[in-house]
Amino acid sequence: MTTYILRRLGTGLLLAMLVTLITFFLLSLSFDAVVRARLGSVATPESVAAMTAELGFDRPVLVQYFEWLGGVLRGDFGTSLFTSEPVGPAVASRLAVTLSIVLVALAITVLISVTLGVVAATRGGLVDRLAQAASLVGYIIPGLLIAIVLVVVFAINLRMLPATGYTPFDVNPGRWAATITIPVIVLVIGGAANITAQVRGTMIDELRKDYVRTLRTRGISTRSIVLKHALRNAAGPALTVLSFEFIAMLGGALIIEKVFALPGFGTFAFNSSLQGDITVIMGITLFSVLLVVCINLLVDLVNGWLNPKARIF
Amino acid sequence: MNTRVIRPRFRSGIATSVAAAVLLAMTACSGSPAQEEADSGSTGANSNATMALAVAAAPASLDPAQLQEGQQTYVWGSVFDTLLYVDNAGKLQPNAAESWKLSEDGLTLSLTLRDGLTFSNGDAVTAKDVAGTLERTRTTPGQQQGKLASVESIEAPDEKTVVLKLKQQDPSLLHNMALAAGVIGDPETLDDKTSALNPTGSGPYTLDQSATVAGTTYVLNRRDDYWNAKAYPFKTLTVRVIQDRTAVFNALQAGELDAGNVEAQQVQQIEAAGFKTKKVEATAVANLVLADREGTILEPLADERVRKAINMAFDREKLVQQVLRGSGKATVQIFNPKGVAYDASLEDTYKFDPAGAKKLLAEAGYADGFEVTMPSTVISKSFEPLITQPLADIGIKVNWEPVPPQNAAAAVSSKKYPMVFFIDGLNVAPRELQNNFGENGFLNPFGTEDPELTELISQVSLESDEAKAAELYKKINAHIVENALTSPLFYLGTIWATKDGIEYLGDGSNTMSTIRAFDTTK
Repeated sequence: MTTYILRRLGTGLLLAMLVTLITFFLLSLSFDAVVRARLGSVATPESVAAMTAELGFDRPVLVQYFEWLGGVLRGDFGTSLFTSEPVGPAVASRLAVTLSIVLVALAITVLISVTLGVVAATRGGLVDRLAQAASLVGYIIPGLLIAIVLVVVFAINLRMLPATGYTPFDVNPGRWAATITIPVIVLVIGGAANITAQVRGTMIDELRKDYVRTLRTRGISTRSIVLKHALRNAAGPALTVLSFEFIAMLGGALIIEKVFALPGFGTFAFNSSLQGDITVIMGITLFSVLLVVCINLLVDLVNGWLNPKARIF
Repeated sequence: MNTRVIRPRFRSGIATSVAAAVLLAMTACSGSPAQEEADSGSTGANSNATMALAVAAAPASLDPAQLQEGQQTYVWGSVFDTLLYVDNAGKLQPNAAESWKLSEDGLTLSLTLRDGLTFSNGDAVTAKDVAGTLERTRTTPGQQQGKLASVESIEAPDEKTVVLKLKQQDPSLLHNMALAAGVIGDPETLDDKTSALNPTGSGPYTLDQSATVAGTTYVLNRRDDYWNAKAYPFKTLTVRVIQDRTAVFNALQAGELDAGNVEAQQVQQIEAAGFKTKKVEATAVANLVLADREGTILEPLADERVRKAINMAFDREKLVQQVLRGSGKATVQIFNPKGVAYDASLEDTYKFDPAGAKKLLAEAGYADGFEVTMPSTVISKSFEPLITQPLADIGIKVNWEPVPPQNAAAAVSSKKYPMVFFIDGLNVAPRELQNNFGENGFLNPFGTEDPELTELISQVSLESDEAKAAELYKKINAHIVENALTSPLFYLGTIWATKDGIEYLGDGSNTMSTIRAFDTTK
């Protein structure tokens, strides 16, 4: 299994290299624009040349790329061309904001959707119809609409939660919880709707299978059948959907970050690309690729642990 | 959240907010600072007030050579002192320099520093420090270098005097001394990388590093040892970068902000929430830049009749009413309506007259019209249909060529586009002239020159009498408008919402984003 993990991580690193190389080549088309943006409205040809040389943009692209890569291997991700922030810590601090929202949202999503999905699948009847209706509503209502309503009610009228901004957990856990509450709710509603439907569907399929009937005839309790056997089998597909949901949430977080003025990864990526902040875009690309690789690996590992038949290592 | 369902809904929202952010960032781009009298201090009674303010653009670098003059100025303008400053009425005033003198031939500027200037580390600010900062800004490629292009040498003959020797007269130099190019830094620390994020300041505030998150929140504490601390009523200032206009609106209502820009349609609601609003009619000008005035790549533009026809194609009033929802003002001029060059009587020069425009085009030999390619940028995007249609109506077909956001500014100077739609923050007249018609002017990519205009500009740069200079600026403005050297469409305004107890003093005379435009009222 260690070999498998190492192999997967190895291919992940290769992929990251390839993606960053392509990204760098694409970005190299904008070197001139970046120089001009940094120089502002009065740019003489001499100052353009001087700035180009200062940033090292006058050298072959491949040389510049490998220099960047060398820096990365030494743990130096470069410095933002526009804000002078070191890229590594800058990306990490933004990622912390986004991940703290997305991970909490994901945990709550799992809790809600597994409970709701299992109950709906086993009880059926009214409970099932209610769960289905709830998940449909959650699927349809746009997150932004929910966000606006929650902000108006809890931030503006009741002043219970902040409307904008972010406080890191280590600064003040209470304020941290308050700042992420509405964003998390918004993310959970869509995510839970999606995964509840998934869990309910696969649970129903599982419960109809022969092994369940066999287990029943042996006198094993329904509770044990549902939680120990059926859910374990149903978890695989749900987990895959969950991993997609996680990646979608990372993307969807951009909107949430905008609406709540959160200094997150999405906004950071968005603004940096708008400005053409090449070193930051490179850092963001690298982190994103590695993040997706790790998530996929994790999903496969957990899948394998849940279901030996799915083991690929 | 279900991203599959909501993503499409958000796209336009994001685009708008980005455009808004870009606009805002540029809106304040350039101008000059504010307050009645340098030593008069604030009129407000509350010297321990705090204020949280929202801005649309983060101050990138705090390196004096790399400062940007948009809303970014709220931060760097509080951390650094400038030699001169512009008050809320748009008048140049002494600041760190208590007096200045421009020699008869306009080639030597002597500034005398006032006593008691100190850096945030307690050291005295000497003439040498000032000269050192200016020299570094002049020789470092960056946002500010071009502003000191006319300077030949900088000297500090004694502790209190700084002398700038110029290669040629520069009518915008004095104003530049009130802006980023006139910032005083500590030359010993400027080359240190960390100083771009945490500089040794000379201004009224210091950055509270523990509470500041670069790009997001800047917390500034007033320095009690600053020479003019009493002119700054706010003990603590929080500048929050919020690009989304709805988020600003929410944060204001939720009590998280004390001041911020709102949109025209939000005024009623924000007033109902207990805020005061103040409308500044013009902070930026939206201009259809007729860059290729000599017809290098688009021959028709060399013809004055064609340029006039373009000016006549637009129903500017309607644009302002319907698109800006009244938050702006129709114009045919590029100068600040509160400035010396503006002339209200010029506004009637180009009435909306498509038939007349077509006739002019026919006279010029373009009865069948012509085609023009313009860059479609993050700035132009939402205005494109409003430009395409009127021009199509007189026979000019516009092809919009998509340009990635980071290339928006570079596209202007690429010499690829004979016409460009651009929104530029209003500035003082000399700088406006340099930008639009100077040899290296940003909005003059083809470097076109109009002999008559050049002559007028050189006259005005020699003129030391203010009234006579103003007269000349009006003459220059009339020349630009009458010869249709460009096609301005409208001014964009801003609306400030301030919490009870805080007042926004600016009226657009000074377009610089300075904290001195805010005061306390109790």
